[in-house]
Amino acid sequence: MSSSHQEGQQGHHPTFKQYVLVAAILFAITIVEFILIWPRAGIVESLGYSKLPVLAILSAVKFAIVIAFYMHLKFDHSLFTWVFLAGLFLAFGVGVSLLSLFVSLSGEPRAYALERAIPYDKHAAEQARETAKEAPKEVLIPTLMPTEPPTVATPGEVVSETPAEATAMPTEPPAQPSGLDGQAIFSGAGGCAACHTVEGISAGVVGPDLTHMGTEAATRKPGMPAEDYIFESIRDPQAFVATGVDRAFPGIMTAAITSGLSDEEVQALVDFLLAQK
Amino acid sequence: MAHAVEPTPHAEEEYTTTGLNHRKLLMWVFLGSDCMFFGALIATYMVYRGQSLNGPYPIDIIDVPLTTISTFVLLCSSFSMVQALSATNRNDQKGIRIWLMTTAILGSIFIGFQIFEFTTFYKEGLTLGVNLFGATFFTLTGLHGAHVTLGIVWLLVMFVIALKGRLGPSTSLDVEILGLYWHFVDIVWIVIFTLLYLIGGFDVGPVPPSGG
Repeated sequence: MSSSHQEGQQGHHPTFKQYVLVAAILFAITIVEFILIWPRAGIVESLGYSKLPVLAILSAVKFAIVIAFYMHLKFDHSLFTWVFLAGLFLAFGVGVSLLSLFVSLSGEPRAYALERAIPYDKHAAEQARETAKEAPKEVLIPTLMPTEPPTVATPGEVVSETPAEATAMPTEPPAQPSGLDGQAIFSGAGGCAACHTVEGISAGVVGPDLTHMGTEAATRKPGMPAEDYIFESIRDPQAFVATGVDRAFPGIMTAAITSGLSDEEVQALVDFLLAQK
Repeated sequence: MAHAVEPTPHAEEEYTTTGLNHRKLLMWVFLGSDCMFFGALIATYMVYRGQSLNGPYPIDIIDVPLTTISTFVLLCSSFSMVQALSATNRNDQKGIRIWLMTTAILGSIFIGFQIFEFTTFYKEGLTLGVNLFGATFFTLTGLHGAHVTLGIVWLLVMFVIALKGRLGPSTSLDVEILGLYWHFVDIVWIVIFTLLYLIGGFDVGPVPPSGG
């Protein structure tokens, strides 16, 4: 570039009129972008195009105009341009690499997200927040009991259990029937099917085969009934690791994997696995 | 290159091997590195886009028309920033003060919009920890807001210097470097606005369209 910043600023900078023109162009592009995406118009979609490349080009134009005119890069030394573009290209490269490594460029959700995502109901969520705010604390404590040490509970707060029962909770199935579909949790939200095989339902090879869990469970841990053993093995997998069982990756099944499941959901899984004779 | 041998117009400018002012070069190097900073955050948002397992999802809370208005405000502030530099080069003391203050006020309005937006989102259940959308959204837009806030502080400092009559053609580089930073914050917002609002603002979350 022959023009230099240091040759004097006045001559090379745009005039007031040109700045106004630049601002007008930037405004116009933003308005066009807004019209393009506003669903009620849906112009791009009606023409059969994806809005993504159109918006990307329009924004890139805005980006370039601001840099070239407002930041005077067009009138300035080319070293400034290269220093800036180096960072910009690296950033762009990082973005493209990350996207192509982890997701498709269209941003489609991964399979696990599709399986596990919970639909959001704005109205219900609002009401839940309201009730959580209004509810007295005593009502919430029984549901928190299993994860809290017994020393926290004062006699007045214990509604249905003694402190001794509360400590035993993590390894003991809850008394009430859950009414949840164990098989759905097994192959869905629980994520069990990814690693475990139950013939006819799943084909995971990472962890032990659970096809005959209903009969095998009673023999695994001496002195522990089948139901309690399965419950413990899900809630706290490393409490007792059975020997003589095929598993491709020993030691990866931990309590953290199942910590997202409620005791009711674990119980539903136990019921499901007990039925696998 | 011709630049190296030319006499510098300003007395305080030192001789440099590139013939370019080091402060200005430093600002451009910083902006290049800031590109990578925001590039990483934007890439993180895009990688986790649509992977949140629970709501609120973007379509539940993103208000595109409102943010379009705040985008206009930020574009306006870029215009007033170039006017401030132009006034400095003309030694128009009144103009310098008016345009610097205008830029600071417009930037504050933008931040006001963002504070309103963040408060609304928080009240509607989107927090930094509720899902991937919340985490990546607040980190990216929050750090952009921090850049704008820093720019406002810088503008106000320059305004005070302008009140003392210390800005003029001989110190126009001070205003120019501030302008570079301010416009950079503007172009980062152009990218964020396009990706997070225009393109990602209607994401419904990873829920199968059949509803089953």
